[in-house]
This record gives sequence, structure tokens and C-alpha cells, in this order.
Amino acid sequence: MTTSATADAAPSPSLWIRLRRTPYLRHRGLMTGVVLTVLFVLVALLGPLLAPHDPLTTNLRNALAPPGADYLLGTDRFGRDVFSRLLFGARASLLVALSVGAISLTCGVIIGTAAGFAGGWTDRILLGLINILLAFPGFLLALAFVAVRGSSLGNVIAAVAIAYTPRVAIVMRAVVMTIRPRQFIEASYAIGVPTLRIVWKHVLPNSLPPVIVVATVSAAFAVLAEAGLSFLGLGVQPPAPTWGNVITEGRPFLVSHPWISLSAGASIAAAVTGLNLLGDGVRDTLDPFLRNQTSTNIFK
Amino acid sequence: MLRYAASRLILVIPTVLGMVTIAFFTLRALPGDPAIAILGEFATEQALQDLRVALGLDQPLWVQFGRFVRGLVAGDLGRSAITRQPAMREVMSVLPPSLMLAGCSVLIAILAGLPIGMVSALRQGSWVDYLLMVVTISGISFPVFWIGLIMIVLFAHTIKLFPAVGAGSPGDLLSQAHAMVLPAIVLAAGGTAYIARLTRSAMLEILRQDYMLVAKAMGIRERRILWYGLRNALPPILGVIGVTFAVAIGNAILVEVVFSRPGLGSLIIKATFSRDYQLLQAGLLVLSISVVLVNLVLDLLYPLVDPRVRR
Repeated sequence: MTTSATADAAPSPSLWIRLRRTPYLRHRGLMTGVVLTVLFVLVALLGPLLAPHDPLTTNLRNALAPPGADYLLGTDRFGRDVFSRLLFGARASLLVALSVGAISLTCGVIIGTAAGFAGGWTDRILLGLINILLAFPGFLLALAFVAVRGSSLGNVIAAVAIAYTPRVAIVMRAVVMTIRPRQFIEASYAIGVPTLRIVWKHVLPNSLPPVIVVATVSAAFAVLAEAGLSFLGLGVQPPAPTWGNVITEGRPFLVSHPWISLSAGASIAAAVTGLNLLGDGVRDTLDPFLRNQTSTNIFK
Repeated sequence: MLRYAASRLILVIPTVLGMVTIAFFTLRALPGDPAIAILGEFATEQALQDLRVALGLDQPLWVQFGRFVRGLVAGDLGRSAITRQPAMREVMSVLPPSLMLAGCSVLIAILAGLPIGMVSALRQGSWVDYLLMVVTISGISFPVFWIGLIMIVLFAHTIKLFPAVGAGSPGDLLSQAHAMVLPAIVLAAGGTAYIARLTRSAMLEILRQDYMLVAKAMGIRERRILWYGLRNALPPILGVIGVTFAVAIGNAILVEVVFSRPGLGSLIIKATFSRDYQLLQAGLLVLSISVVLVNLVLDLLYPLVDPRVRR
């Protein structure tokens, strides 16, 4: 009692101190993920301002220049500045990551909630559809979609979103099914709250965290898938720069001028690592069981 | 046990039917006319009309779908628009190397991922755990084709250990195996990381259980306790091998392109760029159905590692 009384009397601690008491700042993986993701977003947003050269200007006399003061990461076969191309290419990756994350989150939450809350035949049919879509290898489905629909950024986003929405939906359904039989839902029904309002007020806030983690991971996959499709020549068409097609452009010079493909690949790796660490870290810190893991590990 | 197997087998049928339906309608909803895609812009209207009739494109969509399903049951997926060979035969001729590559990579992923995850869990919080987790997060996050390119530079050009391209000379098993090493390892990177991370979290969960403490208190040797623990971790691990295989099949396309290996990946890319939709559809279906079948086999293996399913 006395301790809580003194805590109440003390001036309320600053935001920084309060933040430091949460598990978030102590989680090294989560912090690395936040830093990498923020960096990714900043680079994509400010890239055009930071870029020292135009990403499309060719200069054949200066082709395949090594990294130096003027061209930080050298130039490609057409003498275009690789560093500037990567800065501009970040936009495609960020756009794909954000769009796929948002679309798969929205559609997955709606489908998952409908299936988990309605039950019965609605659930059976939706679950069947989800399982069929999950049975396709994700990248293959995206590739087939883009192959038929044509290679544009919009089609890449749609393709990857179709492949990853079922993943969010199936997690959402599982979470909703654990919440539905709880007493507070029953109580809401008893006092006559409409179903949609119950979903909005009680089901969504209680089920979003794990689903957001899945959506983060699907955003990470989206960056990889976009890069893979670009690498195969099925993404955004050159000369517009993306991280994937910069790797492709550098491929013939991999041994003699490795910086082109290496730096583009490193950019993808950093962005995807950031998103994955973010998802993992949020899951770790949100899950009370993982957080309070006591070390009863008998092998230590 | 038999009921379990039967229920799994029966579930495959609607899944495959659903996949076929989705594959058919996705690829039919294409903008533009396949007849023009095949004959070119300058074909006469008569020639176009003849080809549409020959391909059945003049029929309503549901008649086409019925015909497609009937053909599929008989193992006929139409003819490649470019080579005029049966699409099924073309796909089947390049299926073995792709399945072999994906299969080998999943095997490597299991053999490497399990011990990595075990060591990480047993040394939780140590620098070994930390290092292994950094390596595995990279395995999940790095683009597989980029890992492939780096491996080619390192182990085919700088150190001339493995061939950079190709699948070895035909008939020479040793050279084929030699050419398989690098691509299989590259393709296994993601799966290894995935299985290692899952093994780690499953083992951490198990190590906390009271029965492990009881076993320790009873004086059972550590190695034996570890064996009990691993057996309990197997069901969730077996559960993700199917996913690992599906991801490997998708990524195999990229790896085959990087290493210029013959296989379904190269075929699908070729079909894509020549707008050979019959071939693309056949490739998509055969690969996807093979993933479903692998998952079926894994499901049937489940009772072996999880006695609760046996009942």
C-alpha cells in the first residue's frame, strides 16, 4: 500500500521514462527492426531529394565506374548512378510493402472475422476457399497472375495481396474463434448490442495484435516477391529503377563489377530484415507468456 | 487411424478441384485474345476464327471449363501454343529436376534447421543463440536469387568448387549431383532458417514443462531427456515441412533461373514471355498439385510422430 501511495504522489514520469519501463525498448530485435523500417520509409520518401544524380540519365562514357566520391556506389552499364537508382527504387518496394500489408490486413480481417463469427456454412465455405488459396505456392500464384495480367506495379501488388490475404484471414479466424465464446460477448448479445457493433467494439480490438504481426510479415514477403518478379523481368519495367531490376542489370557484371547487384540486394535484405524483426519483436513483447519467460530451463 | 487417413484423402479432392477452378478462371480472365497472341497481329480474320474454333474459344466459358476439367481427368491439359506439343507432356518432362531440387533443399533444411534450433534453445540468451538467430533472420529476409548470385561468385568463380550454371551432363549422376549442391543449399537457406526458428521456440516451450523438470529430478541422463523433448517438438516441425516445400517450389523458379538449370522454373518463365498460357497453366497446376500431394503424405505421416492423432 505504502509503495503505491508514494508512486502516486511522485510527479508523473516523462514519456521517455515511461517508455523505458515497457518491454519494447529493451527488446533488441524490435529496436533494430524499428530503426531499419524507419530508415526504409525515410529513404523511400526522401530518396528523390537525397539522390545526387538523376536515376535515368545515361552517360556511356562513364559506364561501370567503380564506387567513388561522385558516384557513391558506382555506375551501371549505361553510366547511371547506382546509388540514385537505389534511392528511387525504394519507392516501389515501400509502395508494394504498404499496399500489400494494408490490403491483406483489411481483406484478411474482414474475411477472417466473417468466417470466425458467422460459423456454420459461411465458415466452411470461406475456410475452404482460404485453404485452396493457401495450397498454391505464394510466389508461383503471384507469378502466374502477373504473367497473365501484364507486369505493372498495380498487378504486382494485387498478385502478392491475393497470395497473402488468406494467411491473415486464417489467423484472424482463429483469434476470433477464441474470443467469440467469451462471456463479455455473450453479455453484449444479452443486452441487445447489434452484431456489427460487437465486432467493432469487442472483437476487433482484442484480435488485432496477432493479425498485425502477420500483416507485417506479409509486407516483408511482398518486398521479396516484388524483387523476385522484377528480377525475372515481370515487375516494374526498366528503365524505371527497382531494387529487383537493379540486381538483374548488375548480373552480367557480377564478377567484374559486383557493387551493382550487391548493393541492391543489401537494400532489399535490410528492408525485409527490418520488417521481419518488427513483426517478431511486436509478437514477443505483446505475448505475456513469452515476455515473462522464467528461466526454468533445466539445461542451463 | 484408417479413418484419419481416409478423411485426409477425401479433403484432397475439393482442394484440387478448387485449385483447378481458380487456375482456369484466373488465366481465362486475360485481357486480349489468345488466338491473336498465338497467330500474331497480322493474322487474317478467317485464320483467327479457325483457331478459336480449334481451341474451343468460341464456346461459352462454362462449356470451356467443362471441357478443361474433362481433359484434366484424362491427364490432358491442352497443347502448348508455341510447340504444339501436349502441355502435360512438356511439363512432365521437366518436372523431375525441379522436384529433385526442391526435395533436396527441404531435406537440407530439416537436417540443418533441427540441430541449429536445438542448440539455440539449449543455449538460450548466449552469444551462440544470438549469432544463430541473426543468421536465421537473414536466411528468411535475404532474396533467394541474391544469395544464389553471391554463392556463384564465391564458390564457382573465386573458389572454383562447383559449376556456376547448368545441371551436369546427362547420364552422369556424379556431375549432376555436383551441380545440384550449390542450388540446393541456396534454396534451402529460407527453409533452414524457418525450421530452426520453429524448433527453437518449440524446444523453449518444452524445456519449461514440468515433466522435463521431473525427468531431471529422477536422474535421467540429459541426452535421454533431450530425446524426449525433441520427440515432443516433432509434430509442429512436421507441420511446417509442407509450407517449407511450397515455398521451395516457388523459389525454385528463381534459383533455376539464377543457375540456368533446366526445370519447371525455366519452362514457366519461357511460357510467360511467349504468352503460352496453356503451358503456364499446366505448369502452375502440376506444381501446385504436387505441393498438395506432398502435404497429403506429410499428413499421413503425422500419426507416427503424434500419438494423439493415432487414437
